[in-house]
Amino acid sequence: MNGEEQYDVVVVGAGVNGALMAKYLTRAKLRVLLLEAGPATAESFEGYTRQLTHFYGVKAKGPEAPWPPAVAAPQPDTHDIRTEGGYFVQKGPNPHASSYTRYLGGSTLHWLGVALRMLPEDFKLRSRYGVGRDWPLDYRDLEPYYRKAEFDLGVAADVADQAHLGVEFAEGYDYPMRRIPPSYSDQMLSTAVDGMRVSLGDEEFTVKIRNYPAARNSIPRGDFIPDGAVDERADGQALARDIGQRCQGNTACTPICPVQAKYNANKTLAQSERENLQVLTQAVASKVNVDPVSGAVESIEYQRYEDPGSPRHTVHRAKGRVYVLAAHAVENAKLMLASGLGGASGQLGKNLMDHPCLYAWGLTPSPAGAFRGPLSTAGVDDLRGGAFRAEHAAFRFDIGNDGWRSATGAPDTTVADAVNQKKLFGRELVEHLASTLSRQIRFSLAVEQLPSTANNVTIDPQYLDSLGNPRPVISYQIDDYTLGGMSAAAEVARQVFDRAGITDCTNSEEGTWFPSISHGDKVFHYHGMGHFGGTHAMGDSPETSVVDADQRSWEHRNLFMLGSGSFPTMGTSNPTLTMAALTLRTVDRLITELSS
Amino acid sequence: MSRDRLKDLLQAAVELELSTIPPYLCALYTIRPVGNDEAKLVIRSVVVEEMLHMVLAANVLNAIGGEPQVTGDHAPRYPHELPDGVVLHLLPFSPEAVDAFLKVENPDQSYQPLAADHPLLGGRRHQHHLARCAQSAEGSGPTTIGAFYREIIALMEQAAGQMGEQQLFCGDPARQVGREYYYAAGGRSIIVTDLASARNALQEIVEQGEGDMGSIYDDDGDLAHYYRFKQIKHGRAYTGAAEGDPTGPPVAVDYDSIFAMIANPRSEDYTDPDLRAASDAVNRTWSELLLQIEASFNGTPEAMLPAVHSMFKLRDEAIVLLANPLSGHAGRTAGPTFEWDPSAQADLGMPL
Repeated sequence: MNGEEQYDVVVVGAGVNGALMAKYLTRAKLRVLLLEAGPATAESFEGYTRQLTHFYGVKAKGPEAPWPPAVAAPQPDTHDIRTEGGYFVQKGPNPHASSYTRYLGGSTLHWLGVALRMLPEDFKLRSRYGVGRDWPLDYRDLEPYYRKAEFDLGVAADVADQAHLGVEFAEGYDYPMRRIPPSYSDQMLSTAVDGMRVSLGDEEFTVKIRNYPAARNSIPRGDFIPDGAVDERADGQALARDIGQRCQGNTACTPICPVQAKYNANKTLAQSERENLQVLTQAVASKVNVDPVSGAVESIEYQRYEDPGSPRHTVHRAKGRVYVLAAHAVENAKLMLASGLGGASGQLGKNLMDHPCLYAWGLTPSPAGAFRGPLSTAGVDDLRGGAFRAEHAAFRFDIGNDGWRSATGAPDTTVADAVNQKKLFGRELVEHLASTLSRQIRFSLAVEQLPSTANNVTIDPQYLDSLGNPRPVISYQIDDYTLGGMSAAAEVARQVFDRAGITDCTNSEEGTWFPSISHGDKVFHYHGMGHFGGTHAMGDSPETSVVDADQRSWEHRNLFMLGSGSFPTMGTSNPTLTMAALTLRTVDRLITELSS
Repeated sequence: MSRDRLKDLLQAAVELELSTIPPYLCALYTIRPVGNDEAKLVIRSVVVEEMLHMVLAANVLNAIGGEPQVTGDHAPRYPHELPDGVVLHLLPFSPEAVDAFLKVENPDQSYQPLAADHPLLGGRRHQHHLARCAQSAEGSGPTTIGAFYREIIALMEQAAGQMGEQQLFCGDPARQVGREYYYAAGGRSIIVTDLASARNALQEIVEQGEGDMGSIYDDDGDLAHYYRFKQIKHGRAYTGAAEGDPTGPPVAVDYDSIFAMIANPRSEDYTDPDLRAASDAVNRTWSELLLQIEASFNGTPEAMLPAVHSMFKLRDEAIVLLANPLSGHAGRTAGPTFEWDPSAQADLGMPL
C-alpha cells in the first residue's frame, strides 16, 4: 500500500451527491479527495462524443448502452433480467429490475432528468396513514435546499404547475428556467382529459395533465445562465460549453442527451474549485477501516486500475478528517458490509426500494406527434397523495413522446409486425406505418413501494467480482401494498385512455421479457425506474436507522452516507432532486463543522 | 441628419454580420459526421458569435428608432465583399476556407481596397453598405471591422451630445431581442436603451471580433477564434502562452472527409430537376429564416423561437443537397447557394 495523503474530506462516488459535495466543500477551501470507481469519459466534450458514437453503433439501445462498464467496476444492466446473469445476484422472489452507472457523473449520465419535489405528506407516511416510516425531518426543513438544488441542477418548470398536493414554494420563488414546452401529445391529452374525475376508494380526484420539472435546459428566468456541455480540458479550454444551453428535442434524454442540455453531475464537478480537489477515477473503494474502540473511520482502501478492460490493480489508502460515501444506495451498503460494518441496528442494506413501473400503451384517435421532442414532458401527478395511501400505494404517470419504443420496441417492431404479420408492402405499408407510428402513445405508471427488511442487499463470499469485491446479493419482493397501487394505476390509465378516445393496446404478451407478477386474476409486467433507496435509511434513533437526519452514521461519527439509500420511504418522486437537497443540507453542516 | 446616418451604418453592420454566416455554415455542413471534431467546434462557435453580433447590432439600431432589415436586397449574395476588403466565398471545409476564415478573424486585417477591375466592384448589390462604410470615416474608409464599429460608437456619442441621449434612444424597448431568445455565443444579448448599453453592445462585437491584442486568450481564458483557426491550419495545438504558429500536440484535421461542394454555387448550376428542387428547398428555408429573424427585429422578438426550428431545417436540407455529386464537376457535389427566395412566407407560429 502507498499514497497516503491527508484530506479534509474523502468522498467515495462522483455522481450527483459526490459532485455537489466536491463543489461546495472545495469552494469553502476544504481539501477534497473524490474517488470514482468508473472511468472519466464524459468530462471532456471529446470523451462524451466518443460515448455518443459508441451508443449510435450498438444494437441494443438500453439505458446502459452508451456506458459500458469497466471490468473492475461492474454495474447492473436491465438486460441481465433476460439472461438471469450479470452483476446482481438475484435471490428473488421478484427480480429487482433497475440499473445504475459506475462512471464519473454516475447515473445522471443516463437519467431522464425528472426533478420533482417530494410531497409534504411523503415525509410523514406513518403518522398520516399508518404505513411505512416517518422521516426525521419534514418538507419545511428541506424546502430551502430544494430551491438550491433546483438551481444547482438547472431545473425547468413553472411554480404555477407545481404548487399542488400541499407542495409549497417560498414567496416570490420560481424555477431557474421556464418549463419545457408541452409536447403536442401533452396538449392533445390536456384537451381531452383535464378535469376528468377518478375515484380511489371513497375519494374523488380531478385529473390534469401536468408539465413536470426537468433538469433539462430551457428558457432561463432572470439572470440564470443554463450550463451547457462539459468540456474540461488540460489546457483549461472549454470550447463546447455553449452547446446544449437549450433542449433541442432530440428524443434521446435517456440514455444519452446528444447535446448535454440535460443535467449530468460532470457539470457540477466542473464548478468545483480545482486547486482544492483531487479526483481519482478508476479507483474502487474496497474497505472502510475503523478504530475498533471509537468507531471513527481511519481510512478508506481503494483499488486503482489503469486499463478498464483488465482487473489488474494496485491497492491504496486514503485518509481524511471526514469520510463521505456517495457511491449509490446499493454500493454504499455493499461497501459497509464488505468492511464488516453491518452495524447494531440491523438496518444496513435493508429496506431496498424502487418505483416498480408498468407500461400502458395505445393508439390516439388522431396523430399525436410521437417520436418528436423530449422523451417526456408531462404526466399525471394527482394520485401521488391521498387517504388511499393507508390501503395501497400512490402512483404517478409519465406520458412518453417516443411512441411504443420502451414498451414494445417500436418503431422497429411496428415495421416487423406490418411486414411479417399483416403482410403489407408498397404504398399500403407506408400508409400503415405513417398512420400507426404517429398515433402511438405510452404511459409509464410508476408505483410507490414501502420499506421492508425482507427487501435487501447482502453480500456472500461465494459471489465476488473480478477485483475480489463482493457482488450485491439482492432479495426483493413486491408486496400487496404496491400490487394494490399497480391495480389502481392500471385502472386509472384505462379510464384516461377511454376518456381521450385512445385505443388501449396494452398487451401483457408483448415485451414479455419484463418480469411478471400476479395480483388476484391480474398479471402485471413491471420494470425498474432505477430508483434504488432505503439501504441506509435515516431516522431519529440508532436502534432503528443507519444515519441521522444529517446523513451522519450513528455508529461512525466521522462518516456520512449520502443518496437515496438514506430515504426512509420513497414517495412517488424521482429521487434525484430530494437526494441533492439532502446533500446540500449535509454540506452546510459539514462546512460549519470543519471550518470552525 | 446624424440619426439617419447612424441608422444607415447600423443597418450596414447588421448586413455585415449576417453575410459572414453562410460561408461558415458551408464549411460546417460539408464536414462529414465523424471526425474533424475540433474544426466543427471552432466553426460552430464562430457562427453563433456572428449571430450574436447581428442581434446586438439590430438591438442598437432598434434603440435609435430604426427597423433592421435582412430580407430581399438586404440578404447577402456570394461572393460577398466585407468593408475591409475581404471577399467571402461559399466553400467546403478546405485549406482555402480556413485561410479565408483566418483573414476574417484576423485582428490585424487592414483595409485593402479591391483592384479597380475586380468584378465585385462592377456588381450591383454591394454598393449600399460598402459605399456607406467607405463614407463613414473622416476622409478615408475604415481600416478594420473594429474601426468601422468604433466609428459608429463615436458618431453615436456625438449625436447623443447634439440631440440629447433620450431623444437619440427613442426606440420601443419591446423591440429588443433579449437573452431569453438569444443564447450561447460566449456572450449574451444586451438590451439597448441608452448610450451606455449601446456602447456595451457594440464593444462586445468589437472585442469578440478582434480579441485582446495582448494575448491569444480572452478574458475567460479561451483561445481566440483566430488562433483556433491557426490550430486547424497547422494541425497543431497551442501550448501555454506561445504565439506565432502552434507547435504543440497534433489536432486532427481531415480535409478528405467532406462533401466537396463546388465554390459559390448558383441555382442555375443545378439543371437536374430533382437537384434544383433540393436546392430550392434550402433557399426557401433560408429565406423563411431571414423573414423570422426580421420579424424578431421588428416587434416580435419571440419569432426567434420558430427561427431556431428553421435553423435545424436549414441544416438538414443542406445536407440532403450536399450528398449529391454534381455532373460535369468531377469529384464535386452540389451545395447550398444561400439565395433569397422572394416567394418565401415566414411561419411565425409560436411553439408555446
